[in-house]
Amino acid sequence: MREILADTIAFGRQYLRSPIGAFFAFIFPVLLILLFGAIFSGIGTSKVSLPVQDQDATPASRAFLDLLNRSPYVTVTMVPTDANLSDYIRANSLDVALEIPSGFGTAAAAKVPFNLTLFGDPSRTTYTQAANVVGAALVQTNFVLNGAQPVLGISARPIVSSSFTYMDYFLPGIVGMTVMTSSLYSMTSIAAEYRTRRYFKLLATTPLTKGGWLSAKIAFYFLLMVASLLVTLAVGVAAWQMHATLTAVPFALIAAGVVLFTSLGMLIGSVVKDPSSGIAIANAVGFPMMFLSGSFFQIEAMPGYLQTVARVLPLTYLNDGLRNAMIYGNSTLALTDLGIVSVLAVAVFFLAARLVSWKGR
Amino acid sequence: MVYAIETQGLVKSYGALTAVDHLDLTVATGSIYALLGPNGAGKTTAVEILEGIRTLSRGRARVLGEDVANDYARVRSRIGALPQDFEPFDRLSPLETVLYWSRLFGRSLSRPDAVRLLEAVGLQERMGVPALRLSGGEKRKLGMAIALVPEPELLFLDEPTTGLDPSARREVWQLVRGVRKEGRTVLLTTHYLDEAEQLADDVGILHRGRLVAEGRPEELIARNAGRTLIVLGGAGAAGLREVEAEGFPARLDREDVLVPVADPTEMRAALGRLAALRTPFADMYTRRSSLEDVFLQIVGSRMEEGVLQA
Ligand SMILES: Nc1ncnc2c1ncn2[C@@H]1O[C@H](COP(=O)(O)OP(=O)(O)O)[C@@H](O)[C@H]1O
Ligand SMILES: [Mg+2]
Repeated sequence: MREILADTIAFGRQYLRSPIGAFFAFIFPVLLILLFGAIFSGIGTSKVSLPVQDQDATPASRAFLDLLNRSPYVTVTMVPTDANLSDYIRANSLDVALEIPSGFGTAAAAKVPFNLTLFGDPSRTTYTQAANVVGAALVQTNFVLNGAQPVLGISARPIVSSSFTYMDYFLPGIVGMTVMTSSLYSMTSIAAEYRTRRYFKLLATTPLTKGGWLSAKIAFYFLLMVASLLVTLAVGVAAWQMHATLTAVPFALIAAGVVLFTSLGMLIGSVVKDPSSGIAIANAVGFPMMFLSGSFFQIEAMPGYLQTVARVLPLTYLNDGLRNAMIYGNSTLALTDLGIVSVLAVAVFFLAARLVSWKGR
Repeated sequence: MVYAIETQGLVKSYGALTAVDHLDLTVATGSIYALLGPNGAGKTTAVEILEGIRTLSRGRARVLGEDVANDYARVRSRIGALPQDFEPFDRLSPLETVLYWSRLFGRSLSRPDAVRLLEAVGLQERMGVPALRLSGGEKRKLGMAIALVPEPELLFLDEPTTGLDPSARREVWQLVRGVRKEGRTVLLTTHYLDEAEQLADDVGILHRGRLVAEGRPEELIARNAGRTLIVLGGAGAAGLREVEAEGFPARLDREDVLVPVADPTEMRAALGRLAALRTPFADMYTRRSSLEDVFLQIVGSRMEEGVLQA
């Protein structure tokens, strides 16, 4: 036990002195949180600007404009009535513009059919957003004109508690990904380095065992990942007001993930020629996992065959588990994920401790 | 006699290659034993089997009384090892490395003790710098320091001075002598003949995996090369033929003819007869034999920086 502790401390010291280690454990996840936060918080608040040319200028058209203005999704700007709207759109490179032709008020009063004109490129999302807002305003106006009270409606009920944002969903994925990259990538190159520089042989002459050495690495990466989780979470909360619940389950998941990916790294590092080919193989294993295990993109939104691939990637279960535990508060599902990751972790650990020989032949 | 190391018929094969070939080795407790041989002779293979980090193919080996194949766990903490081409951990300083190593052996040296150990190997000035910045000689000294951390009864040093400059080599020799003075046993390997001759109590010459000669350096010299040599400089092959025809044992070393004289009382007579040779030679002198002469005699070629010369 004491030699494992000594090895953990000595290894940690060396790891933290290498800039690469600190990068993967802390800077990478924090950068991702800041970057993705900036991207997604931008989309959430952006309003589409909707230029309107009011050729009618009656109380009815002004009431309709007022209705548009109240929508949180568009910002109405006025186009001068003497402008040719088609030329104006081209001159200002607009995606969308609305014309209220004269006669709107008269038609509304007489309750005869009348059309507004929405100019623009329907393939653009800004056009769709504006069209939806205009459509909704028209429906409401029609109700009022016909003297009807709206009876049926729809109320949105998100599955995630309304206080959670996309970023909250994103955070566990980043944590899972960091557990994978930090332990897999650095263990692969460390195991390869220890073999090629004969550190394994050197250690083999001491009472420290192979399993003890691996356990020391696991202990260190666990502490590192907990620190990384706390830093990432702190940055997320400070910068983007994220929400997450911390129970024992996320920590157990991180522990299981660290065992799994550290052992996997040791396995890879022990068979490759040198540290750089180790990194290449770790990339070949880690890169698909990074993008297919639901760290950045929702698995449910992927094509079916990719979903099948995602279901055999261990990081998927780590990410799912973290999300279930930290965001959805679904401990039953989280414990199932923990079970899957733990079984894999124990299997790969014993495989690594058995197959890897650090003595010579 | 108690032996720190005993092997019987030790064999290690790699496919068709027999790296260690029926090695019978005995190393007396408290002595310095030098395994001498060119590159590829099987030195590292033999040492690593004895360090318990390589398996053997056949035969038996006991280290500090324990069988290496079955009971190595019992001696692990009683040996120290400096591997060939030792590399320290780049990002730890010598002091940190020594403290770390002491904890691996469950010894937990105190800081002052660790400093004392580093002073003993001559690293006190450099004990705080990352090992990455140490010179080759300093790295080797750090390797010696961690090999000494467990206060081993038996110390393995695989080519401890290869690549070091002469003064650094002498410092390592001093250290090794100090270790023996404390009653510890040292098994070292080398391809430097002078190192074996000056440092070792016993020398074993290893050639193609086989122990071709063994004994105290002066015994080996007396037995194989004669204590004193008469050198006929530049006498060449013709000189050798004539000397042999005169009934002397002799051999050719490049263009020189070497005539060993085992009995000092025969020296004057031998000099007289050889001075009268018909074959011309450049000069004639006597010198004391060295392990180099033994090696040449037994292996049949010279060795330079571990490489056998044609
Ligand atoms: N793991 C191995 N696999 C195959 N051959 C090996 C292995 N280790 C050593 N050898 C061979 O065994 C012979 C002895 O090597 P070694 O013990 O390293 O010699 P030395 O230390 O005397 O230079 C060499 O021919 C070497 O190529
Ligand atoms: Mg060697």
